[in-house]
Amino acid sequence: MFQPASLKGDSPTPIDERLRNKYLILYFIIIILSFMPCVLFEWIYAIFLWKEGIYLIFIFLFPFNILILIHLLQISAILFSILFLTILKLIYPPKEGIFNRNIKDKDYFYWNLRNIVKKWPLFINSSNPFPWLKNRFTLRFFGVKIGSNGIHDNSWISSEFVSIGKNVIIGMNSNILSFGIEQDKFILKKIIVEDDVLIGAKCVLLPGTHIKRNVKLSAHSYTKFNQILQENSTYLGHPAKLREK
Amino acid sequence: METKDIPKFKVEFISTSGVYKTPFTLIVILQFLVGCLLIIIINMWYYNDLYYLLTGNQFLPFLLIGQWWEWFLLPMNIYGNLLLFAFSIILFSAVIFKILNKIHPPEEGVFERGSKEWKYTHRRFWTAYFPIWLARSLPLPWSDIFVYRFLGVHVGRNVVAYEGYIDPELIEIGDYTMTSLNICIFSHLIYQERIFIKNVKIGKACIVGPHTIISPGTILQDGAVLGVNSYTWINQNLEGDLIHVGIPVNITLPIQSVEDSQKKAERIKTESKKNTDFND
Repeated sequence: MFQPASLKGDSPTPIDERLRNKYLILYFIIIILSFMPCVLFEWIYAIFLWKEGIYLIFIFLFPFNILILIHLLQISAILFSILFLTILKLIYPPKEGIFNRNIKDKDYFYWNLRNIVKKWPLFINSSNPFPWLKNRFTLRFFGVKIGSNGIHDNSWISSEFVSIGKNVIIGMNSNILSFGIEQDKFILKKIIVEDDVLIGAKCVLLPGTHIKRNVKLSAHSYTKFNQILQENSTYLGHPAKLREK
Repeated sequence: METKDIPKFKVEFISTSGVYKTPFTLIVILQFLVGCLLIIIINMWYYNDLYYLLTGNQFLPFLLIGQWWEWFLLPMNIYGNLLLFAFSIILFSAVIFKILNKIHPPEEGVFERGSKEWKYTHRRFWTAYFPIWLARSLPLPWSDIFVYRFLGVHVGRNVVAYEGYIDPELIEIGDYTMTSLNICIFSHLIYQERIFIKNVKIGKACIVGPHTIISPGTILQDGAVLGVNSYTWINQNLEGDLIHVGIPVNITLPIQSVEDSQKKAERIKTESKKNTDFND
């Protein structure tokens, strides 16, 4: 939907400042690589169509050129970041648990590196002008299981340890966080959202939340760590409590 | 005035979100191409002139001026292209929006999935998507209010409604109202298989605080203030000249008027004078 910048589903990826400055080069490499196919495409377009006699064709196909360019940039950004992501995952596979928030901690370190790699495709896809190929499209490439026939693009969803079922509606500006930072501890835990769930606007799901089938979570509420919401019920409040009929 | 009878709809919770993607979403491409048309025609003429000035050749055999001062139009051309693109799209999609409104005017009530109303609200939302997106990304702060007025939303004078989500139909915003960051004003509410649509009225000189949700059917009377981080239930009526807070709204607080604060200031002054006298 037509959100302003403050409601955009772009990822404010939390990257440790100490690591961000060191590994900035990784970020730039992905940006430059993802522009390469676009440059190639434009070059071919100019060479084949900027000729005497067919200038008008060049001009009138230009809008289509821009349409293709936007989508090409999105897809190449995803593919190049996946390339780096698989390498990182081979070096150190991601796992759930409670870790120390310290650069020397390997889990925390590699989680930050993965975020640096994912930042550019998430940004470019959430800020594209069209209503398709938004966050859901990107997240599916990163291995988040998201079912069909739902509304997901208005919210911010973590890019790993999340699985979302079919017919799920996630309200505007909701956050699904599979990571948490508590004092000097760093938590990674999987969030499971089953089929037919409805999550209201401005909800926050904390790591470990398990929402079972046909649950309705009212707007402006949040769940606790490791909270389990039972089937066919309505939840509401800070933190979410069962609403009795 | 009594509102139209709506079949009873038991509300246990508020869920407000966007709308589903339908094949009608592809209208964005049509809007994009229509927006490009005018730009192509103007730029074709302009860049032909620049090409002539650079190389001495021209790729179009007509409409040549070829004067040196045309270089000075280049900055204006870049900014003008942006504005031209946006405003031609806004005009075009406002026309489509009006036509859809004529075919099936928006109604209040509860509707099943797949009904005519469901389809047409989705269609109207997706026609409104691209012009509002563009207006929000333009460097003009009032451009999105301009678009909402074009689409038929009643927005009064001197309204601040910049950084928030507002539905493009069945909403009235009075004069001098301010809406803050990160707000959502909804006139529709999607349950799994049903859609609930009702008018939202925001009166004159209201203030809607940051991080709030206004649900369908809410009425904010003149001078009401909705506090930070609160949301309204369906069909809630907030009285004027009061502060309303709560999740959902359940607490009302008085607004201190200017006279009250002047009295307070005078009282503090006299008290401090007494204190200083005492100290001397």
